Amino acid sequence: MKLPIATAAESRAWLRSELRGRPGEVAGTLAVGVLAAAASIVPVYALGLLVDRVRAGAGTSAIVGISVVIVVAALAGGLATGLGSYLVGRLGARMLADLREATVATALRLPARVLDRAGRGDLLSRVGADIAAVGKAVSDVLPQMISALLLGVLSLAAMAGLDWRLGLAGALAVPFYVLALRWYLPRSAPRYAQERAAVAERSQLLVESMQGLRTVHAYRLEDRHLRAIDGASAQARDISVNVFTLFTRFVGRVNRAEFLGLAAILVVGFLLVRDGAVTVGETSAAALLFHRLFNPVSTLLFTFDEVQAAGASLARLVGVLRMPVEERSGGRAPADSSLTLDDVSFSYDGVTPVLRNVSLRVEPGERVALVGATGAGKTTAASIAAGILRPGSGAARVDGVPVTDLPAHTVAIVSQETHVFAGPLAEDLLLARPEAGPAEVEAALAAVGALEWARALPEGLATVVGDGGHHLTAAQAQQLALARLVLLDPAVAVLDEATAEAGSSGARALEEAAAAALDGRTALVVAHRLTQAAAADRVVVMEHGSIVESGAHAELVAAGGRYARLWAAWESRAPANAETRLG
Amino acid sequence: MSRSGGRILRRTVTRNGRRLWPGTALIGVHQACEAAIPILIGVIVDSAVTPGDGTALALWVGALGVLFAVLTMAYRFGARQLMKAIAEEAHLLRLEVSAKILHPRGVRTDFRAGDLLTVSTSDADNTSYLLDYVPRIAGAVVATAISAVTLLLISVPLGLAVLVATPLVLVVLQLSAPRITERVADQQEQAGRATSLATDLVTGLRPLRGIGAQDAAAERYRVVSRRSLAATLRAARTQGGYLAASTVLSTLLACGIAILAGWFALSGRITVGQFITVIGSAQFLVEPFGLLAIVPSWIAEARASADRVAQVTDAGLVLPEGVAAPAAERCELHLSGVRHGPLAGLDLRVRPGEFVGVVARRPADAEALVRLLATPAGYEGAVRLGGERLEDVDRDHARRLLLVEPHHADLFTGTIAANVAPHGEDPSAPGEGLSMAGALAAAAADEVVDTQPEGLGTPVAERGASLSGGQRQRLALARALLARPPVLVLHDPTTAVDAVTEHAVAQGIRALRHGPGSGFATVVITGSPALLAATDRVVVLGDGVVTAEGAHAELGSSDDSYRRLVLR
Repeated sequence: MKLPIATAAESRAWLRSELRGRPGEVAGTLAVGVLAAAASIVPVYALGLLVDRVRAGAGTSAIVGISVVIVVAALAGGLATGLGSYLVGRLGARMLADLREATVATALRLPARVLDRAGRGDLLSRVGADIAAVGKAVSDVLPQMISALLLGVLSLAAMAGLDWRLGLAGALAVPFYVLALRWYLPRSAPRYAQERAAVAERSQLLVESMQGLRTVHAYRLEDRHLRAIDGASAQARDISVNVFTLFTRFVGRVNRAEFLGLAAILVVGFLLVRDGAVTVGETSAAALLFHRLFNPVSTLLFTFDEVQAAGASLARLVGVLRMPVEERSGGRAPADSSLTLDDVSFSYDGVTPVLRNVSLRVEPGERVALVGATGAGKTTAASIAAGILRPGSGAARVDGVPVTDLPAHTVAIVSQETHVFAGPLAEDLLLARPEAGPAEVEAALAAVGALEWARALPEGLATVVGDGGHHLTAAQAQQLALARLVLLDPAVAVLDEATAEAGSSGARALEEAAAAALDGRTALVVAHRLTQAAAADRVVVMEHGSIVESGAHAELVAAGGRYARLWAAWESRAPANAETRLG
Repeated sequence: MSRSGGRILRRTVTRNGRRLWPGTALIGVHQACEAAIPILIGVIVDSAVTPGDGTALALWVGALGVLFAVLTMAYRFGARQLMKAIAEEAHLLRLEVSAKILHPRGVRTDFRAGDLLTVSTSDADNTSYLLDYVPRIAGAVVATAISAVTLLLISVPLGLAVLVATPLVLVVLQLSAPRITERVADQQEQAGRATSLATDLVTGLRPLRGIGAQDAAAERYRVVSRRSLAATLRAARTQGGYLAASTVLSTLLACGIAILAGWFALSGRITVGQFITVIGSAQFLVEPFGLLAIVPSWIAEARASADRVAQVTDAGLVLPEGVAAPAAERCELHLSGVRHGPLAGLDLRVRPGEFVGVVARRPADAEALVRLLATPAGYEGAVRLGGERLEDVDRDHARRLLLVEPHHADLFTGTIAANVAPHGEDPSAPGEGLSMAGALAAAAADEVVDTQPEGLGTPVAERGASLSGGQRQRLALARALLARPPVLVLHDPTTAVDAVTEHAVAQGIRALRHGPGSGFATVVITGSPALLAATDRVVVLGDGVVTAEGAHAELGSSDDSYRRLVLR
């Protein structure tokens, strides 16, 4: 399953509704734009008039009135052009800001399964590259485009105002411009897509080689990687040259339209002057008006593919906006913090069951460890208990309230996947509870034994960590995740293998941190290290999506079942035999 | 500032001369034709429209057609030559930079991976754009010259007025350029911040969702997005102001010239057609003048990029060129009195056939040891491989003998098979060598392959993102085992693997590399009891030196601190 992309009609509908939402701003922007275009046409008009005065043999005093008109128009036109460009930019930027905020807000609230199926890469490229692409188009291209469009339309109107046949001659270029575009766009779009793909492949190879340099060196892969980079870079180069060759042919077609329009104006002007219908000055004005359009119209045409690309990005953003999001309906607050799974079944694909009729109760304040081999369903059970996944049948509840209806911050899960959010370390924690004060942040760090190293960072808790900042170890990242949990202070906490990546020496420190973070909460812990299980109030052993054993650690060890065998293997450090490999 | 960027730019020009100069000449022709259009409009009005001469009209419109044909052809063929040169130059620079970065002897640079990527992409591109700027400058000079000569021919005072006033106006406008650049840079920085925040939050979506922080995250993004909007609006205001000023000034300039020319026309000093040519040319000239005004900043940008490219291509190498080639048979690794970072006089001897565990009380000691064995530079004491100092051994040979598998081993785009056997070892070859199946089984990676939809042929996404941490780790271990190096160093190879599998892996390594009569040596740096239990001997590092040594079971029963460190 892929994330949806809006159709052209849906994108247009979004654009219309956005524009309708700001009628005053849109009207004002348009009015200033028209004023700017009109003011820049007046001088040419006036000069046409001057041509006729010259031909009529008027005295030099004829210049005065025209000069005044021209200078006033230049001043008004310049100011209106600047203001218009600002207003267009502002309108676009405001719409874009609303769009990107809505897109990110939606992306953050997409159901877990939708995201798992669609893959995170697509969503990342939408909130990253697509927003940037639309933003660049809005600030770099849009103001120019609108002003070129208005200038083109008003110039044609002005020519028609001189004589409708002159206007018609100028308008002759329009279908040729359109033909040029219609020839170019369908040919260029797939080539640009190819180019983007080739550049993306090249970047991927470069990134992999540079970030994985240690591995590349260890395995003597540098020649192999260089050859691959050479191949991808050469391909991107050839496609770029190919796209550009096409572009030069497009420019040729644009030049042809320019010539036809200019020649038509001169020929029609010649005929009309001969018939006395228009003056030489009016013909000159029309020709000059048209010549002046060469640059803005070319810019308009040449940026069309950027606009097309931005349109594609827009469709991908609007597509996200229209996706259904997960909402927690704020139900009643539970009276106690008992966590139950009632007859829960689950399947990712609708065929293979991952959980079968799992029922489990964790008493308030109790700590239960889930034990089992990979694929036994521990993580799925934990995700359902935390409300991240919704069960196929059955329900997860806290004091009888379904977890998806609980008030926010009642249940939290710390999963195996850790992430250090880029920015000052304290702000990473504040995501859990934005209103918390510095003292509370420090207390949370202290609770998981992280305050000491956090204070020792170059700038203490203000140190920028995460991507592009100070690098934290895997163990430190997990401590941060636990500190977030402490700061959030949920009544029920689920821990999913939060100590797995720490390396053995760090694992015990993390286990202590986890124990501190769970203090006083109802806790469900997915345990891979059996020491975690031994420390729990109760151990639940899962196999093939079902619960097969449940009881206190000592009871289960004494009972001599699956858990006892696992524990014996673990404690003696002897190689486990196949029998003890659960699942 | 270094002069190396200049050298790169000079080479860019000289090595592309074959395409650059013909391309530049054709762009010059194109610009000359552009400059001739307003002249021709004036001529047509003067010689055809005013006198009503049909023959002249046909003749001159035909000439206009020829002009356009030449213009478009000159552009087409000129620009294509230039584009080829630009694309090829960027490609060559990119390869040069990549080759340096990947150099087996290691490049000495302060750039981080992200910066290196920028050098190999944007900076290589920016440098190659010099080949675009040269013809543009030439074209602008040609266009200016033609218009200037035409104006001077029509009227000397008019021509002088245009040629003096236009650059003056442009210089005035340039004064505000730094402010615009600053605002735009701020806008881009804020937009970049919003983008990285969005991708960062989405990357951390699972942890966010786990603590129900989606709203807090969305709010945080909203704040940054509004800041970005404010910066965009500030930049738009500045640009709008600049646009207003530049439009007013350049229109006033064009109008002033038009009025002056109009006065000349009214007083009979120039014809109507010449009047039109002056207006058209004055209007046209703004463009080449504007280009000439902006070109210095473009060249400065290309120069800055070329400097960064040079910083990589000129950077020294970390390791000397080694020539020694110790024998692969019964290869010994021997560190004596090694001081490097936190290592304070480390002695460690790994004999052929030995399986040695290393436990570090401080993670930094383990990291320093791994770093040193991968890149033997900047240390005191001696690291010897097969009796030769490691840095004196030919790099390629050294890496065949001693494989140091980093803790965060990377997988690359390609199939699982291509990752496990990166040098294209035949996956099914039984022979005397080790089969891929054997290596996979020893690393407990066979079940990883079994759960993948297409088995060994399953594609691996960028940096192995399609696999879990544990799956990546086991495949990387299989790759290390399949490479069969005489000396293998593993750093925490099973941190993402569950305890039960860890036992299997430990036995797998032992069986594969330390069977009877095997001369292979293996060092595993770990705190995992399962792995340590499989070793012949364990060495404990504390404060940069060896503090204890013995069999795992021995240390476990006699050494309390060891028990606390390893046995939980």
